[in-house]
Amino acid sequence: MSETGAARPVWRGNSGPGGRGDDVAREAVLARAFVRLADTLASDFDVVDFLHGLSADSVEILRAAAAGVMLADGRGGLRLIASSDERMRLLELFELQGAQGPCLDAYSSGRTVQANAADSRARWPAFAPEASDAGFQLMCAVPLRVRTDVIGALNLFRRDDEPFTGAEIEIAQAMAEMAAIGLIQERAARERNLLTSQLQAALNSRVIIEQAKGMIAEYLTMTVDDAFDLLRSYAHYHNRRLSEVASDVVDRRITSATLGRPPGQHS
Amino acid sequence: MREDGRRTRIMAAVNGEDATAGAEGLVQRLCRFAVDEMALSGCALVLMSGVESASMLAGAGRHARTVTGLQMELGEGPCLYAHAHGLPVLLPDLSAQSANRWPAFAAAALEAGVHAEFSLPLTVGPGGIGTFDLCRDRTGMLSDEHMADALVAADIARDAVLYQQYAPGGPGLPELLATVGTDRIVIHQATGMIAAQLDDTIANALARLRAAAFASGRSMYDLAQDVVERRVRFHE
Repeated sequence: MSETGAARPVWRGNSGPGGRGDDVAREAVLARAFVRLADTLASDFDVVDFLHGLSADSVEILRAAAAGVMLADGRGGLRLIASSDERMRLLELFELQGAQGPCLDAYSSGRTVQANAADSRARWPAFAPEASDAGFQLMCAVPLRVRTDVIGALNLFRRDDEPFTGAEIEIAQAMAEMAAIGLIQERAARERNLLTSQLQAALNSRVIIEQAKGMIAEYLTMTVDDAFDLLRSYAHYHNRRLSEVASDVVDRRITSATLGRPPGQHS
Repeated sequence: MREDGRRTRIMAAVNGEDATAGAEGLVQRLCRFAVDEMALSGCALVLMSGVESASMLAGAGRHARTVTGLQMELGEGPCLYAHAHGLPVLLPDLSAQSANRWPAFAAAALEAGVHAEFSLPLTVGPGGIGTFDLCRDRTGMLSDEHMADALVAADIARDAVLYQQYAPGGPGLPELLATVGTDRIVIHQATGMIAAQLDDTIANALARLRAAAFASGRSMYDLAQDVVERRVRFHE
C-alpha cells in the first residue's frame, strides 16, 4: 500500500523495446487525450461519454487493463458513471466500490491509493476477492478534485502486479484533474449548490442509460452489453448526446427498430 | 456515513406507532423529520403529473404550502423546473441573482417570508413523479450532512409513493423501504426490460419489480438479475 502525493515531474516509457520513438508516440497519445479532455464545449458533450473517453484514454496511456470513473452521489457514497469497458462484470466490480475499495478510500482521503493483491486483501476483505476473480492484481485510485472538493475518483486496474510508477500516477492525476475541471462548469466550481445539482444530473444520466440498455436488450433480443454499443454508436453517428438518445429510447421517441438498423439507414 | 446507514437511520426516525399507515403517513413523517432535523420553515412532497398539475401529498412546517401554492398560482418556480428537468434546484438566497430565473416567484416567496428554497426532483429515469421541497425563513445553504439526509429522504419518499401504486395498504412498507437499494446497475437494466415487456413506463416497471420482489420474499437485486439473465419475464 502506498499513498502517493506529488511525484517527480519526469516521464519515461518504463518498459518495452522502442526507447525514444515509443516515448514520442506515447506523448502524442497523451497530447490528444488532453485535447479531448479540454473539449467540453461541444454541443454533443455528454458526461458519461466524456468520462468513458477518460477511462479509455487512461487504459491506453497508463498500460492499465481497465479503468472506471465514480462520482460522489451526495449521499455519502460513490456511483459508477463510466468505464473503459462496459461489460457487466466490470461494471459490478466498480459498483461494489460504493461500499468498499480503493475508489472510496481515494475519495474519502483525497489522496491517490495504490494496492497490490496482498495489500488489497488486507485492506478491503470484501472487495479484494471480487477484483481477483475478475483477473485484476493491482489497483489504483486517483481523486477527482474541483478546487478543494473531491467529487469522485478515477480507478485503474492491472492484471499483473507491476505498480504504477510515480510518473504514471502523476499523469493519471493530471488527467483526473483536467477531467474534473472540464466536467464541472466554472460557476459550479465556486458554488456548492450548482455542484450538487450537476453531480445529480450526471448520476441520473447513467441511470437512464442503464434503463435504455435494458429496453433495447428486450426489444432487440440482445445482451445489455451489446445494447450499450448500439446506443453509443447511434449517438455518435447522429452527433447527439448519449444521455439524450437514452432518454428518447426510454420515452419511446426513438424506436428500437430504428436503433437496430445499420448506420446510414437511420431515418 | 454510507447511504445504507443513512437510510436505516432516517427510516428508524420516521417509523411511528402507525407503521401500517401507508405511503402518505410515512411521507408526512419524512417531511416532519426534515423540518425538525434541518431547522426548516417548510417541507412538502408534491406529486406532479405533467407540468400544470401538482398536488401536495404531505407537508410540515408553516411554509409547507407556501412554495407549492405560489408556483401553481404564478406558473413558474424552482419545483416546476426541478420536475421538468430532473435537476435539483438549490437556492440558498432567494434575493440573490441565481433566483432571477423566476422573478415573480422569488419576489412573492420573499414577501411570504421564505428566504431559501431547495427542490429535489423525484426522478425515475428520464421522468419523475414530483418533488421533495425544503424551505427556510433565513438564507444559507444546507450543510453537506443535511443535503445528504435530504437526498436520501427524497429517495425514500419516491420509493414509498411508487410502491404504494402496486401494493396499496399492504403491510411491510417500512421494512421494505428500509432495505431496498434501488440504485444498482442491474436493477435499472431490469427496469428497462420490464418496461419493454409490459409496454409500460419506467416508473410502473420499477414498482412492479419492487412488488414482485417483495411478494416472493427476494431482494430486488436478485430478481433483477434473473430478469436481465432472462430467467424471469413480466406479463400483464
